Amino acid sequence: MDLVQLQRQLVDYRTSLYHEGFLDEQFTQLQSLQDENNPDFVVEVVSLFFEDSERLLNELSKALEQQVIDFKRMDAQVHQLKGSSSSIGAHRVQKLCIVFRNYCEAQNVEGCLKCLQQVKHEYGIIKTKLESMFQLEQQILNAGGSIPV
Amino acid sequence: MAHTLPSSDQSSDQDKWDSGGLECKGQLLIKIVMRNRLTALVVDGDTTCWVLEQELLHSYGVQTLGVDNSRDAVDLIASDAEFNLIIIEKILPVLNGLEVTRQICEIGVRCKMLEVTACSGESERQAFLAFGVDVFIEKPLDPEHLVPILRELDGQ
Repeated sequence: MDLVQLQRQLVDYRTSLYHEGFLDEQFTQLQSLQDENNPDFVVEVVSLFFEDSERLLNELSKALEQQVIDFKRMDAQVHQLKGSSSSIGAHRVQKLCIVFRNYCEAQNVEGCLKCLQQVKHEYGIIKTKLESMFQLEQQILNAGGSIPV
Repeated sequence: MAHTLPSSDQSSDQDKWDSGGLECKGQLLIKIVMRNRLTALVVDGDTTCWVLEQELLHSYGVQTLGVDNSRDAVDLIASDAEFNLIIIEKILPVLNGLEVTRQICEIGVRCKMLEVTACSGESERQAFLAFGVDVFIEKPLDPEHLVPILRELDGQ
């Protein structure tokens, strides 16, 4: 595939992520902070988001397996996940966190379990999509091209 | 000269993306010229958030320090470190954001304080404002909220 085709593919892919509600304009905000002085900023922040999220999702899973569930602690963890997902523009994950917090507040175990599954699912999707997007960007750079805005 | 953010109603956003080109990078970061070098302390337990908040501040020439827990934040302030701006998240390791705010204000800090948090109810918002937080912002921290505050601190 030649450079122009790769660039077109990237633009289409990125556009689809916004259209389908996976990303919101906060992601564009993130991209605007990247420049020659900070050329890998987006990848770095998104990688931090992956690390933070995976840790939080593991902790939430463990919390829901306990005999006595600490809803307050879970609420704090979902709050954190909402914060970081909103910071990178991971729109669907952020929206699910709002629902999740409501279940924590209501101390609804079934609701929390269901929500956790949904969050894990959406997180998995956005992770795969962002990784694919970064791969495309790298291919373009390797072919000597620049990333279209 | 400041550029304003494009208005973001549904249809104009779709058009923007349909045309195949997202807004030019430069325009989204509201451009301002700062006269003074401001300093800020960012307090947030979540790495993704404070990296982003610090970078956003850096892009406006603000020198920043980031801590990820309340104890370090209070210790820093108590040791007479001075900042023009303090940005605090509500939920933090060790002490919660509200308690940290209270302690910082008790030490006598009079700089601008921003509460930047993922979500909160009206009663919590009021509690923070009563304790001395100047502005309450829902995450993510964006130029639209930050720029007027920076301009005010810069004496513009």
